[in-house]
Amino acid sequence: MMTYQFDWGPIWDARGLIAQGLLMTIAVSAVSLAISIVIGLVVGSGGASNSRAARTVSALFVETMRNVPLLIHMYVWYMAFAFLRLPAFTCAVLGLSLYSGAYVAEVVRAGIGAVRRGQMQAALATGLTRLQAMRLVVYPQALRIIAPSLASLFSQLIKDSSLASVIAVSELTYAAGAIEGQTFRTFEVYIAISILYLILVTAASQIVMLVPGARNEAASASFADA
Amino acid sequence: MSDVPTIEVRDLHKKYGKTPVLRGCSMTVRRGEVVVVCGPSGSGKSTLIKCINGLEPYHSGSIKVEGVEVGAKSTDLPRLRARIGMVFQHFELYPHMSVLDNVALAQIYVLRRRRPDAYERAHQLLARVGLQDKSNAMPVDLSGGQQQRVAIARALALDPQAMLFDEPTSALDPEMIHEVLQVMDELAADGMTMVVVSHEMGFARRVADRVVFMDAGEIVEDAATEVFFSNPRTPRAAEFLSKILPH
Amino acid sequence: MPDVILQNLPFLLHGLWTTIDLSLWTILGGTLLGAALGTIRFVRAPVLGTLSMLFIEFIRGTPLLVVLLITYFALPALLGYRTTAYKAALLGFVLFIGAYLAEDFRSGLRSVRPSLIQAALATGLNRWQVLRLIVAPQAMRSVIPSVFNQYVRLLKFTSVASIIGVTELTGAALLVNARQFHPIAILTTIAITYLVLCYGLSLVGRALYAHFGVKT
Repeated sequence: MMTYQFDWGPIWDARGLIAQGLLMTIAVSAVSLAISIVIGLVVGSGGASNSRAARTVSALFVETMRNVPLLIHMYVWYMAFAFLRLPAFTCAVLGLSLYSGAYVAEVVRAGIGAVRRGQMQAALATGLTRLQAMRLVVYPQALRIIAPSLASLFSQLIKDSSLASVIAVSELTYAAGAIEGQTFRTFEVYIAISILYLILVTAASQIVMLVPGARNEAASASFADA
Repeated sequence: MSDVPTIEVRDLHKKYGKTPVLRGCSMTVRRGEVVVVCGPSGSGKSTLIKCINGLEPYHSGSIKVEGVEVGAKSTDLPRLRARIGMVFQHFELYPHMSVLDNVALAQIYVLRRRRPDAYERAHQLLARVGLQDKSNAMPVDLSGGQQQRVAIARALALDPQAMLFDEPTSALDPEMIHEVLQVMDELAADGMTMVVVSHEMGFARRVADRVVFMDAGEIVEDAATEVFFSNPRTPRAAEFLSKILPH
Repeated sequence: MPDVILQNLPFLLHGLWTTIDLSLWTILGGTLLGAALGTIRFVRAPVLGTLSMLFIEFIRGTPLLVVLLITYFALPALLGYRTTAYKAALLGFVLFIGAYLAEDFRSGLRSVRPSLIQAALATGLNRWQVLRLIVAPQAMRSVIPSVFNQYVRLLKFTSVASIIGVTELTGAALLVNARQFHPIAILTTIAITYLVLCYGLSLVGRALYAHFGVKT
């Protein structure tokens, strides 16, 4: 049945290409993560606010961004907005940031809601303004609560970055395709990059769990898988 | 003794949706007075005191703290709240900060005290409530009674003109109630203006100047302590007392 | 509705149908696989449990696109068989969603209070009966939100099948765009279609949960 000859040599030979692809994946992921965190904080806080207008806008953003496939997001920036002449990297980052930002927003909103209401009242009762209370009392606690979900989102973002290969960003999956085309080592190359993604994703989760207090929350965490 | 009452509530009305929660409540608290507010659950006692420092909005009527209308749009609520301390039933210490930081936080960010001054005052207050050796502990390491005493210190840190207590001992195991009531006794003896929502009738008898009895959103009785306990005017108050006193 | 859509409506509708078809089969296969794996992990079966865990961890650490590339290119090359893009996509989706659902089912099973299980055992029921009669029914209701979350996700990621040449909705849209370049009209219509489908599916999930969900 299996007449496949394993040959990992060509994979090792192509390690330069693989390394470049890996770096590009990290680049796309890191920039998108930063932007999606900002988006998520703003939209998520709006979603948890007392203002109905803010909550509605937040919900609209989240539902619109989340219910459209990431692939379509990327094509929109790459093709529909082609007149902007954005480089592929930027298109991928924009698509990924808006999509993931919506997920971060939901997690942030839930995290803020999970902080005991009495905490906000106690903070206000000592004369802190709403903004101060959010910054000093609510956000720090919300961050600890959502750390496991954030770890999961971070991992998901790294995996989602593989779709950038479709709009010709030369990240890891794109590199795999190129190597496969040259060496015909189909099985080896895809297993190799799977393992690389696994390593990336595990490392990312561990980094997020370094947030103080995060490990306690993880014991009872339910992962907000994207 | 100032002429302006510290807290003045007039004909206060509040609804949650369609349900009335406060129906025309009026009461006055003068400087140095200790008022205990009691009544069955759901009578609106907690809601009333949360209206006093603006944590809950009200629909009609007036609440004036040192002459300033709490519900007026022009009122600087954070500033008003800095002049009234509040202690909550569930303590609500900030779990992500040490005890010392809990007591110092508002001093730094609201009163804009310099950090060394804030921390020193915090140490003083923790000593006053008997917890000076716990200043570096985290709230989760403390017992309920200890946490509540820290909460009192936190409220005192802003040198408030009055203190509001929302059922301060209701969430405590019986053996810890005493340590908190003792701190409150001392506060009252020092002349602090206090409004205390509580079922602790022993405390009321010992320390309160007046007792206010609420039922179903109304203030049913408002009398000097001895008068309230020995000769309640209304049947509802008498019934409440008979249920709550033997224990 | 834009002209380019109207002109190509049958083709696009066929793509939509392929998307729905793929999704339904994946939901079926993936749920069965996920329930099986989740239960195996929950009861801590010795060998199967470890194998399941390895499989689940591998899939969860791998991007969907790479999984599809494996089922379309790598596995056929390794095992020497031929497959169509559609079958490879279906296999990939089932394996992918099965691994995620396995974790959801497992936490659902674990969420049933141990004291409840003890009480059931105390009445003389054996472990399998407790699992079947008490734990599973409760667990199933509590996992509705997370499972439907995965279903909505599934609907979205059927779009990735277009990359290996399956003519589902996205694939069809791209083909139309290749012939009559109108990306804005086409992509907007496609985006709205997915939006309606996914939001609708999540509403179904919420309704089901409101009706059947276990409130502790």
